[in-house]
Amino acid sequence: MQNQVQKETVLAEDMMRADLYSLLGSLLFAAPNETVLQNLNSLTGDGTEMGQAFGALSQLATATDAATARREYDDLFIGMGRGELLPYASYYLTGFLNEKPLAKLRNTMKQFGIARSDDVKEPEDHIGSLFEMMSGLITGRYGSPVGISDQRKFFSTHIEPWAGHFFKDLEAAQNSRLYQPVGAVGRLFVEIETDAFSME
Amino acid sequence: MAKKQNNAEGRREFLKLAGLGTVLGGAALATSGTASATEAVDEAASGYRETAHVKTYYDLARF
Repeated sequence: MQNQVQKETVLAEDMMRADLYSLLGSLLFAAPNETVLQNLNSLTGDGTEMGQAFGALSQLATATDAATARREYDDLFIGMGRGELLPYASYYLTGFLNEKPLAKLRNTMKQFGIARSDDVKEPEDHIGSLFEMMSGLITGRYGSPVGISDQRKFFSTHIEPWAGHFFKDLEAAQNSRLYQPVGAVGRLFVEIETDAFSME
Repeated sequence: MAKKQNNAEGRREFLKLAGLGTVLGGAALATSGTASATEAVDEAASGYRETAHVKTYYDLARF
């Protein structure tokens, strides 16, 4: 499946998408360390809604140290027993963890030659893992870059049905400070991807 | 075919205009060196590997 596309060059627009998937994926999978926070505050946004969300993220990153970001991340996603949000496809789609959407994802991962990292305990349908996978499928991290139709299939099966709801929840979450604009960027990006995939 | 090309171009134009350009560069920097949730399946590990041992076996078996 991943070898269908023989053209190996990844276009600039697709690299942008891959970068944004990767950035969101890493911020959602773990709290940002000092280096990531410093890099975030070098981002600048233009006048678009996406640009403004990035501007807000950049400003907040300047004002946040790694320990504070870590606490916010834990309150949102880890918590005492559980965090404010459960960022898993299975939970958003069925109300329970480790349900059919996870099984379906594991099948897809097998097809594309993707495995969960050895030291990772979270189920694969974590929003951070899914965004990392989209990024890797675009750049060819798991083999060769996959074409738009396979990307669309992955997105529409595993991300689109729930990620928009999740990002709205993240924007509105009680514990969201730094993660408020992360939620906004994610929500806008899912909308952009949905529209872009429908064009081809 | 021409239609498909147009659609692909339309898609790229759309992505450019959607404001994704504002993240270019910075985003790649921001994530380098962070932990990964996934990795490529190591096909060599589960399939055939020509180790020195296997090579010796084939040499002896005159393959």
